Amino acid sequence: MVLARIEGNVVATRKHPSLEGWRLLICQPISETGEAEGSPQVAIDRHGAGMHERVIISSDGAAARAAVGHAKSPVRWMVIGIVDEPQKGSPA
Amino acid sequence: MRLGTVIGTVTLSKTVDEFPGARWLVVSPFTREHFQSSSNAPIVSKEPSVVVYDDLGGGMGQTIGFVEGREAAMPFDRPTPIDTIDAALIDTIFYSPLK
Repeated sequence: MVLARIEGNVVATRKHPSLEGWRLLICQPISETGEAEGSPQVAIDRHGAGMHERVIISSDGAAARAAVGHAKSPVRWMVIGIVDEPQKGSPA
Repeated sequence: MRLGTVIGTVTLSKTVDEFPGARWLVVSPFTREHFQSSSNAPIVSKEPSVVVYDDLGGGMGQTIGFVEGREAAMPFDRPTPIDTIDAALIDTIFYSPLK
């Protein structure tokens, strides 16, 4: 699971049938200070995460398959929650 | 799923039995810079290119979404040695990074 920021979405007509009807969001992994870390991932979202909102994305394929209800789906990354307030600071 | 540009195809004359007639694409993954300046970024990124199993019909120069890892083999009935699969042909990208 990584902290990420929503930076856009993609539209795909031709895709695996299990992705039909799902929002595909561009999620940029970020540090706790909000700086980009690494390449963006595209994740499915059922929570309605908005632009530039902080979210947690999970790479648990089994849970994502259960969410789309398709046992043979290749889906992997999924938005599992929207961050209310990240706690700043590090352990002393 | 990551996005990438199709920069080539691969043909295998000898393969393991699970791949009759499979189609393979060479894909250069998008970096953050590609999302930010899709028009003038070089097509081939600094990220290592990957070979992607394709059953959607991705073509040269197209942008695709590919899934990496164990999940890539899930669409197959039998255990299949695949770890990267084309899951979507991307039509449009809306991207607006936080400045």
